[in-house]
Amino acid sequence: MDENGLLLRVTDLRKSYGDVRAVDGVSFAVPRGTVFTLLGPNGAGKTTTLEILEGLREPDSGTIEVFGRSLRRVDRATKERMGVLLQEGSFEPYLKVKEVVALFASFFARPLPVKEVLERMELTEKQNALVRTLSGGQKQRLGIAVALVSDPELLFLDEPTTGLDPQARRNIWDVVRDLEGRGKTIILTTHYMEEAEVLSDDVAIMNHGGIIAQGAPRDLAARLGRETVIEFALAGARPEDLRELEALGTGLSTHGEVVFLKTAAFTATMERLLDWSKERRVALSGLVVRQPNLEDVFLSLTGRRLRE
Amino acid sequence: MRLVLSFALAQLRVTLRERETLFWFVLFPVVLFVLLVAIFGSLGREGTIHFEVGFLNRDQAAGEAGLGRRIEAILEDLAQPGADGKEPLLSLHRPAGTGDLDAFQAREEQAVRYGTHALLVVVPEGFSARVRDALSSRSTTDAVRIQVFRRAGSASSGFALSILRQVIAGVDQGVLASGGRFRAEDAVVVDTVFLGSARGAEVRYVDFLLPGLVLMAFFTAGLFGVPGALLFAREQRILRRYWVTPFSVSHFLAGFSVTHAVVCALQFTLLIVVGRFALGAEVSFASPEAALFLVLSCATFLAFGFFVASLTKTGAAGMALANAINLPMTFLSGLYYQLGPLPGPLRILLSVNPLSYLADGLRRVIGLEGATSPLWLCVLVPILWMAFSLLVAGRRLSWDVGR
Amino acid sequence: MSALRGRAFLGLVRAEARAFWRDRVSLFFTIVLPFLFIVVFGLVMGGGEGAVAVGYAGGAVAEGATLERALRETEGIVPTPFGDAASLKRAVEGKRVGFGVLWEGDRLGLLYEASRFQENFAFQELARGIVARFDLARQGASPAVALDEIPLGNPAAARSFNEMVPGILAFSLLTAGLFAVSGHLTSMKARRTLDRLLTTPMSPLGLLLAVAVVRLAVALSASLVVLVLSQVLFRFEPTLDLAKFLALVLAATLGMMGLGTGIALLVRRPQSAANVANIVSILMMFLSGVTIPVELLPPFLRAISRGLPLTYLAQGMRHATGIEEMSAGRFWAIVLGSLLVGLVTFPLLARYVVRPERR
Repeated sequence: MDENGLLLRVTDLRKSYGDVRAVDGVSFAVPRGTVFTLLGPNGAGKTTTLEILEGLREPDSGTIEVFGRSLRRVDRATKERMGVLLQEGSFEPYLKVKEVVALFASFFARPLPVKEVLERMELTEKQNALVRTLSGGQKQRLGIAVALVSDPELLFLDEPTTGLDPQARRNIWDVVRDLEGRGKTIILTTHYMEEAEVLSDDVAIMNHGGIIAQGAPRDLAARLGRETVIEFALAGARPEDLRELEALGTGLSTHGEVVFLKTAAFTATMERLLDWSKERRVALSGLVVRQPNLEDVFLSLTGRRLRE
Repeated sequence: MRLVLSFALAQLRVTLRERETLFWFVLFPVVLFVLLVAIFGSLGREGTIHFEVGFLNRDQAAGEAGLGRRIEAILEDLAQPGADGKEPLLSLHRPAGTGDLDAFQAREEQAVRYGTHALLVVVPEGFSARVRDALSSRSTTDAVRIQVFRRAGSASSGFALSILRQVIAGVDQGVLASGGRFRAEDAVVVDTVFLGSARGAEVRYVDFLLPGLVLMAFFTAGLFGVPGALLFAREQRILRRYWVTPFSVSHFLAGFSVTHAVVCALQFTLLIVVGRFALGAEVSFASPEAALFLVLSCATFLAFGFFVASLTKTGAAGMALANAINLPMTFLSGLYYQLGPLPGPLRILLSVNPLSYLADGLRRVIGLEGATSPLWLCVLVPILWMAFSLLVAGRRLSWDVGR
Repeated sequence: MSALRGRAFLGLVRAEARAFWRDRVSLFFTIVLPFLFIVVFGLVMGGGEGAVAVGYAGGAVAEGATLERALRETEGIVPTPFGDAASLKRAVEGKRVGFGVLWEGDRLGLLYEASRFQENFAFQELARGIVARFDLARQGASPAVALDEIPLGNPAAARSFNEMVPGILAFSLLTAGLFAVSGHLTSMKARRTLDRLLTTPMSPLGLLLAVAVVRLAVALSASLVVLVLSQVLFRFEPTLDLAKFLALVLAATLGMMGLGTGIALLVRRPQSAANVANIVSILMMFLSGVTIPVELLPPFLRAISRGLPLTYLAQGMRHATGIEEMSAGRFWAIVLGSLLVGLVTFPLLARYVVRPERR
């Protein structure tokens, strides 16, 4: 950690596979004890960036400064202080849960007790079950348990809640918040907007290998102005319709049949909108009124949705 | 060290818990051992072979002079069960009563042609009279012949025939002896010697086979076990979970080797126990030279396994390759039996096959001689294979999936 | 079948064919492996045909000429002289001769190489014949009684290789049919591919027919490849009775699919079915007269071989390729029996295919 309290600093990281620029000049810094999230759709370059930081891949160019040392490729000493949850990875199907955790624990000089880690991830009941009998959620929890067993200062969680049901997801969020409370530094990737909003101190939105926006979640959303978003589905909208609708508010974006209408004067816009729909005899389905969020930020910046 | 042993233990657990691995690496060599000994161990011995033989005596002479009858009596004797209830050598088929002999012969010839009977023996008419005439005449005459019908190309028919030849040779000697032409007491003294075994006695198949099967078990563990585990772990992205921790590739290789050695030890122990206590093997591996060859084999096949793993990208392709290699290498190697003369291209394969050299060397140091290559070569060739395998594997093996 | 069904069926056949072609493991086991077997087994275990070289020494010693004469008169051997005992022993140990006969003036030594297990028992029979003849000749006698050997059947069978190839052919039919079910279909079941196929209008029977059609084509082509290669490379000399050959291929493939069905029904885990099929086929290979004649097996193994389908298929194939003679009744009984097994188990197989997977 340098004088600025930064645990990790990445400068101009680049990685290409043939013609494809998977990571195209990515730079960011992560202070100790914070949660930093890389947000973006599949193929944005989040996982590749993370894999470089985890030591799985070597960058074409750029520098990584971690734990106060400048590295080209992450080395063993660094790995001792890191914990990693990979997005795609399995464990040996014929090992028991506790054997997996014990195995990984043995890789580190000062691991946490296996029992404690199992309790923390609510796997005590399943400790004697073979990996091949676990459900998706249980396997994910095991992955996090393994990431935690070294009691790392820096934790990488690549898509920690993908494929989990809402309850399991909230449980993971609790774990992350708890870890932050203990002073851990966490680097998270996700394509779930709420997750980024709820957990992060700092968010970097990635697309096509680069960071297109960065800041605290609230600040990013606030970039869209202190406006309300009215969201509804409109079947068979013609260009003239959209032009008319845009005139009702301060800005309009669409995604398929869904229309997002921004306005600074909510009540007036709402009245005019309902009049419009009555006049045109057009149905507005799925009407939602909300504050702008990261999804809207992403949409306005890229024209794509996060979940594509 | 801690990392290596902890991983080795985990890998061992995985290996022993997969039922398939357990079967092919541990049980199957034992099953094959028992099967091969049962089939080949008593090849040709009494009580283990049986032939259907037809017999037709057209010779009218009866009583003492009835040679045909005498031959028949010998064959009848061979058709009796052995002293301890062992299966007789023959089942004799003869015409019922005095029915149509020609029809019987035609039927029997058909049976031989179709392979249901091994032989048909026909003593021709006037046989005894002609033999008596030949004996009493002063000049040497051609032997009087008995007809034997056999099935062309049938190995078992041929073997039955060679047994019959012994019978007839015995009868012949008896006839000549009674005719004063042969003195049995002046028969030549015969010594039978088996070259290439420690005591000059016949080597028992079970003793010959045991080292071969030990090597086969080690080979299977290396050829199938290594690519199987490695390629699967890489494909399923199990390996990369290790690489993001301080556990490195060298730890992995060391731990993996320890597990392999333990599996080999397990296979060895099981085969020795079965061989000693169930099949009566007598060979002993308790010598430093034998230990050297066992360790050398284990290491060579481990390296070979890595080599094979480095040749393919996916687990399925790796297994197909292993299957393709397995058969030629194990059967062209003298593991299960000694190879006869081979045609050119195959002999070349044999001469580079590390299995042959290891089998040769191992058999020699446990007291079964008959090796065809010098001992130093038996050590050198496997070592060269090991070096080659490691060189190629080191270059080609990738430890993580593509992108 | 309506036109639509017909098209769907053809589509399924094409898909099955493609799937088989891409399945490298299956390809290996049905086409490459049998051929490998021929090369390996035929040339390695098929030894012992033709005359046996018998080394001898002591021709110069008294009565040595008598020994030489006895050797020359013995059928089926090639007498090979050596200068002294030492060089004879080396020849025996180096396997340059089958066995050795050492005459030392008063004793006759028979020298065998200790590890030639498959051959020594036959060599010992030959040796006994030589000793008998020598004994007679030493006393100035000649045999009064001898054998007149009359071979029956196809002389082509005299080459043990010709005996072996049909057995290997039968084996490849076995694996083609067996692994179609206990390998291909069971793995489809394990991967739930079957369930997906069954949600289409295609009936289970239609799917099975598609599999059977492809497997038959495979079995036929594999057999033809083996036949041609054996003829070209190893001068295998069949006299193919095409009708009998085709009938046998059809019946054997279907029958062995039936065997595969039996295994699939008995073994709970689909993945294990392929392994069981593997073991069964290896056992059959040893015990069905394909690698070693059945008569030379010990009694209990011989009894087992009588219950193995491959025993009969191999016999049938030897007949269909003109290597061995067999009564027409027996041949068609084998064909019919195999066909019946296949047909009877087909509906069982159809039920297996739709049976829900229990976790």
